Amino acid sequence: MATARPVVSIYNFENPSEKTGTMPMPVVLQSPLRPDLVREVHRDMAKNKRQAYAVKPKAGYDTAAASWCTGRAVARIPRAPGGGTHRAGQAAFGNQARGGGMFNPTTVWRRWHRRVNVTKKRHAVACALAASALPPLVMARGHKINQVAELPLVVSDGIQSLTKTKQAKETLKKLGCGEELQKVIDSKSIRAGQGKARNRRYVKRLGPLVIYNEDNGITRAMRNIPGVECAHVDRLNLLRLAPGGSFGRFVIFTEGAFKKLSDIYGTLKSGAPKKKGYTLPRAAMVNADLSRIINSTEVQSVLRPKMERYTHGIKRNALKSKELMEELNPGSTERKAVQQKASQKGTPEYDEVQKKKKARIEESKKYNKEHKKGDETFYKTLMKAFEAKAAADAAKKAAEKAEDEEDEE
Amino acid sequence: MAERYAISKVNVPEGAAVPELVKMKMEKEEKLAEEKKQALAAKQKAREEERAKLKERTVAYEKEYADTAAELVKLRREAKLNGNFFVEPEAKLIFVVRIAGIMKMSPKPRKVLQLLRLKQLHNGVFLKVNKPILNMLKLVQPYVTYGYPSLKTVRELIYKRGFGKVSKQRIPLSSNDIISDALGKHGIHGMEDIIHEIYTVGPNFKQVSNFLWPFKLSSPKGGFVNKRHGYCEARGGDWGNREELINELLGRMN
Repeated sequence: MATARPVVSIYNFENPSEKTGTMPMPVVLQSPLRPDLVREVHRDMAKNKRQAYAVKPKAGYDTAAASWCTGRAVARIPRAPGGGTHRAGQAAFGNQARGGGMFNPTTVWRRWHRRVNVTKKRHAVACALAASALPPLVMARGHKINQVAELPLVVSDGIQSLTKTKQAKETLKKLGCGEELQKVIDSKSIRAGQGKARNRRYVKRLGPLVIYNEDNGITRAMRNIPGVECAHVDRLNLLRLAPGGSFGRFVIFTEGAFKKLSDIYGTLKSGAPKKKGYTLPRAAMVNADLSRIINSTEVQSVLRPKMERYTHGIKRNALKSKELMEELNPGSTERKAVQQKASQKGTPEYDEVQKKKKARIEESKKYNKEHKKGDETFYKTLMKAFEAKAAADAAKKAAEKAEDEEDEE
Repeated sequence: MAERYAISKVNVPEGAAVPELVKMKMEKEEKLAEEKKQALAAKQKAREEERAKLKERTVAYEKEYADTAAELVKLRREAKLNGNFFVEPEAKLIFVVRIAGIMKMSPKPRKVLQLLRLKQLHNGVFLKVNKPILNMLKLVQPYVTYGYPSLKTVRELIYKRGFGKVSKQRIPLSSNDIISDALGKHGIHGMEDIIHEIYTVGPNFKQVSNFLWPFKLSSPKGGFVNKRHGYCEARGGDWGNREELINELLGRMN
């Protein structure tokens, strides 16, 4: 949509390999593509041609059945009255009964039709038209357009005056629709399902949709060609432009019709002249090229650089892994090595340790000799605390003994 | 930060036409790669300096531990010599382990255990010994066992089961960088710094202990005696203060 309007060639209907002119593409064919919108609108619009169906209102209830209630060794379901026939006493009413009514009978007052907002419908048509101008979408829908010269395919107005089907077929073939028409013919098959017994026996694919401005015989000419449909440009139907809700129908415009599209829909600025209060849909994003936006200098200049993720790996135990211990505790392997050396005979560290040990033992011996002999032993120092009491007790005992001896005497 | 730039190499086939955007990207990546190289070199240099300092500090710490232990021995001997009693210094550091599960926990002890970050069975935390902590422990006595860890226990816990809280995540202490980033502003740059701060209950104990995620210990090999009763009861039990004997238990739980 950001680019200048492309130019579409008009092909001569008599000699389709020749171009009679060019025309700028109407803005409507550059509408944003909204498959969701088309699908939604189609779904609702398609419901509007439905005919009601329902079971008879009285179905299953046209008996005077009544329950026999309890006490008669039968189930309590209502039973047909009377006698003399098989029907008598049989269950009635109830969806479980034979000949009874259905559960939740279908009704004619079901809401068959749906209303769709006018703007929504118009947007959907614009979107479907835009899709019909894109070869990949048309091919994706299943149309065979390999031989078609250009999309959108615009043919000079002479085609509108065709009256003979034979001629119309020739023209279409010359325009490159031969494969498409053949596809339709080949696809005729019997419908799967009950429709075949309801006057809808055959189904076939859809072919091109010819959009004209003035009907000077074209509809009658094209009518009998299998798969081909005609539509007046004033009255475009979404159900034809996007059959089944999928946009991208193969459309052939006549020159007049193509020109009229601009008159009907106008531009985004002008609004649609022929549709009161309507402007063509705008895209949600004008520039939808995300990668270009993201990689543009405007965006990149404000971003911080991409960072590597933190990875912590598996936790290892430093007490088991010497490498990790050195990483966490620098110098630990060195210190440990020194320590190890101290227990190896012959190393200077070992000698150091032994020297210290010797000195310690010497000290201890000297100390003991000085302090732990005679009255300085552990026991003696301990008992010193009890000396006073021991002396007092001894004195007391001596005094008692002296008294006793005195008493005896 | 520049050392973590993710540089993507764009492989351009020989002689191929390079699209404009790809060219722009290549130029940008080149510049970033340059910055990254410089940052990495600077980081390497800083790392080497830091490691040298850490090495010195570690040697000083080991001397400090040896000296304090020797000092205590000296004081004990002196006291005995003089016939005095040596009053052992009160413990400054305790390690608390949650013994009870989470079911049927009264609200008050439950709250206290939450505050102490003991939210799971066999979780352990280091705590400073002060009046408020002792009062809190009083409330949760039957649900925890605690005691005074030795240097060996502290080292082993931190090296084997040390995880740090880095932007609310539990990150293993696999590198001193993690510690430096989190605690650098308190002068703690490595494992030995953490161990020193914890064991000696330094001025930044709170920050360091909070940085350490609560230790998730295994159940003790050889089992508990009886979790339903207190350690100090005659019949034998496990909860409460078991002072120095916590080291034996932690040796089996670590």
